[in-house]
Amino acid sequence: MSAPLPKRIIKETERLQNEPVPGISAQPHDDNARYFDVMVEGPGGSCYEGGVFNLELFLPDDYPMCPPRIRFLTRIYHPNIDRLGRICLDVLKNNWSPALQIRTILLSIQALLGAPNPEDPLNEAVAKQWKENQSEAIETAREWTKLYAQKN
Amino acid sequence: MSSFPPPRHISQAGRSHARGHSLAPNFTSSALPPSNVRHSSSPNAPTSEMSLRGMSRLEGQHAMDQSRFLASKARVKNLNPPVDMRLLDYVAPYDGNLMCPICRCPFVDPVILTECDHCFCRDCIRQTWSAQYNPLGPRGDCPTCRTPAKLGLRCATSKILVNILDDLVVKCPRSEEGCPAEVKRGEVQDHVNIYCGYTVVNCPSDDCELPLRRKDMPKGCLHHGVCCFECREELQISNLERHWQSSCPQRTINCEFCDVQLTFHEREQHMKDACPALSIPCPGAAFGCTSRGRREQAETHSRNCTLARLAPIFAAQKQRLDEQEAAQKAMAHKLDIFQDGFASLQSLLCDPSDGAGLTNTQATVEPPGRNHRGRSHTMGAYAGTAEPLDLDFPTSSAQWSPSASTAPSRPAPNPPGPRPRDLPEPYTGDFDLAAPAFPSHSMTQEMPYTSPLHHLLSMHESLRDEMSRISAALAEVDGRLSMQSLNENMRTREEITYLGAQLAGLSRQVHWLTSSQLQRQQPQGAGARPANGSASSNVSDMTSVEAAVNAASNGLRGSQRMANGGNGMRRGLSEEGRTKL
Ligand SMILES: [Zn+2]
Ligand SMILES: [Zn+2]
Ligand SMILES: [Zn+2]
Ligand SMILES: [Zn+2]
Ligand SMILES: [Zn+2]
Ligand SMILES: [Zn+2]
Ligand SMILES: [Zn+2]
Repeated sequence: MSAPLPKRIIKETERLQNEPVPGISAQPHDDNARYFDVMVEGPGGSCYEGGVFNLELFLPDDYPMCPPRIRFLTRIYHPNIDRLGRICLDVLKNNWSPALQIRTILLSIQALLGAPNPEDPLNEAVAKQWKENQSEAIETAREWTKLYAQKN
Repeated sequence: MSSFPPPRHISQAGRSHARGHSLAPNFTSSALPPSNVRHSSSPNAPTSEMSLRGMSRLEGQHAMDQSRFLASKARVKNLNPPVDMRLLDYVAPYDGNLMCPICRCPFVDPVILTECDHCFCRDCIRQTWSAQYNPLGPRGDCPTCRTPAKLGLRCATSKILVNILDDLVVKCPRSEEGCPAEVKRGEVQDHVNIYCGYTVVNCPSDDCELPLRRKDMPKGCLHHGVCCFECREELQISNLERHWQSSCPQRTINCEFCDVQLTFHEREQHMKDACPALSIPCPGAAFGCTSRGRREQAETHSRNCTLARLAPIFAAQKQRLDEQEAAQKAMAHKLDIFQDGFASLQSLLCDPSDGAGLTNTQATVEPPGRNHRGRSHTMGAYAGTAEPLDLDFPTSSAQWSPSASTAPSRPAPNPPGPRPRDLPEPYTGDFDLAAPAFPSHSMTQEMPYTSPLHHLLSMHESLRDEMSRISAALAEVDGRLSMQSLNENMRTREEITYLGAQLAGLSRQVHWLTSSQLQRQQPQGAGARPANGSASSNVSDMTSVEAAVNAASNGLRGSQRMANGGNGMRRGLSEEGRTKL
């Protein structure tokens, strides 16, 4: 980190700590303030309810001109999240706007857990299952949540 | 008009010069270049020569001053880059509406997108749209509402907004180095460039190129080494102040909790023992008291709190308990070793089926008589397994190896071959005497050992001795047994030879009798036909006697052969006799 940390990142980090979003936490690493350990709770009423999902978030050098890079670390059964934890979310790609923030992105991800979109899949197998037998897919997602997304 | 303008010009220039010292950086290069002055003065040429000469001299001096000033300004600018408005700290919280959604700071040079009325810093929106290069000028979607928009000429915001932003009060960017100034944001650049004592400028000394803080300028060149008189660290005078402020261990600081002044290196001690403002727990906290309070409160509390008063006793008892527990653990471990050792020794010495129900002392001190038989039978087998069993003991191999290596070379107590069970078991005295000797010997006399391991080792040693004694006794018993059987054997053989001799005598007599009878019958044989029946009966009698004698001698020969052959022939003899008879 040769360049000083932009004020925006400092402010966002402070606000994330001081006014945390319920069910979401983001903690910057001590040695790299651009790298965050993120924890998102599965939204209530969804098949991910009760799960605690860990993500990693990295703010690239040209943030906020380009979106943060974010990825699930916890395994999750979701049509828009692939095996490597990459997320198919428009605001993380073409629809990024510098007016968006870490907290709004994390809220979008939490919303994505509440409303999976198999029509725009990243994980083809899961999306297929989701379209063909939704109840079974939801049951699988529930099992995976129990299996992998438990607070330790 | 013609006579006054030059002085006015000069005075203007002079004023601008004077102002230049105070506010110059706000006058950018376009404001007052020297050429401008010359140009403005040349058309309005002075009428008199005097004034002309004076003018030119003044002008020359002025130009020199200005170039010097500009040069020093450039150097200062090099040392002090323009203030980054986005890094400023604002003294008071500002209205969230003044915050740019992109950089999250109060707008810097704000622009309004005419398409949607959203406001951004000019740099922020330019940067956002720079990726989508467009020959028609910067354009793209509004970052807030995604309305397609462009940055036109009429995008500047109203003066009111700019004024509000410029009136926000900020701290001097060098506040961390000590500058206490709080100025309006619109003036912060001037403050840094002109007033701030912490701005770095060039050393006033001509032969020194090093930077110096503006407030130190009157002191002259400070670029020579000194020692901090508190901590003896060597540094340059110009850095001394910073050293005292942030790194000298002897610097004075205020306790952040109680405002007491103390030196930095005392801080830790103060926090631990003295700071009255720091909340400290009751001394009985480990035993359940949840009270916390400032130091003086905590002291009064600890005088009244039962738990606090009992805390040292509790602590001592807890420590003792821990010690006891540790000791007990060690003892249990020792006991385990002992038990293991005893178990393997017991299995080494006793038949498992007999010894299982007996305690150690019963098995070793007063072994029941029938145990001996069991032992003697299993001896051969256990002698073979003695080596692997040794490994179970936690002894150091170096200490134990000599005796372990001699173990196989010990006299084999008994051949592992079959041993008839129905032979009489000899019961020797020394065998029995040896047995009770070892436990009393090792238990009573050699009890105070340095370690349980040594004790166990010595016991093992005595058991080993015991075993060798037992095996010697067994060898002796074996010898006696074989002697006895040999003796018996010889006696039987003698009897057999005696019987054989008698039988031979008998057969000789029978032979003699038969032959004399035959001689007597031969003369009568021709004339005495009627006596044929009786004669034939006589012959049959005679042959049967002969057969019996033959059989007896055969049996005797066989028995002799078998007596020589060794044990177990008695039955063979009887069987043979039965078949013959
Ligand atoms: Zn901005
Ligand atoms: Zn807009
Ligand atoms: Zn200042
Ligand atoms: Zn100097
Ligand atoms: Zn010092
Ligand atoms: Zn204090
Ligand atoms: Zn207490």
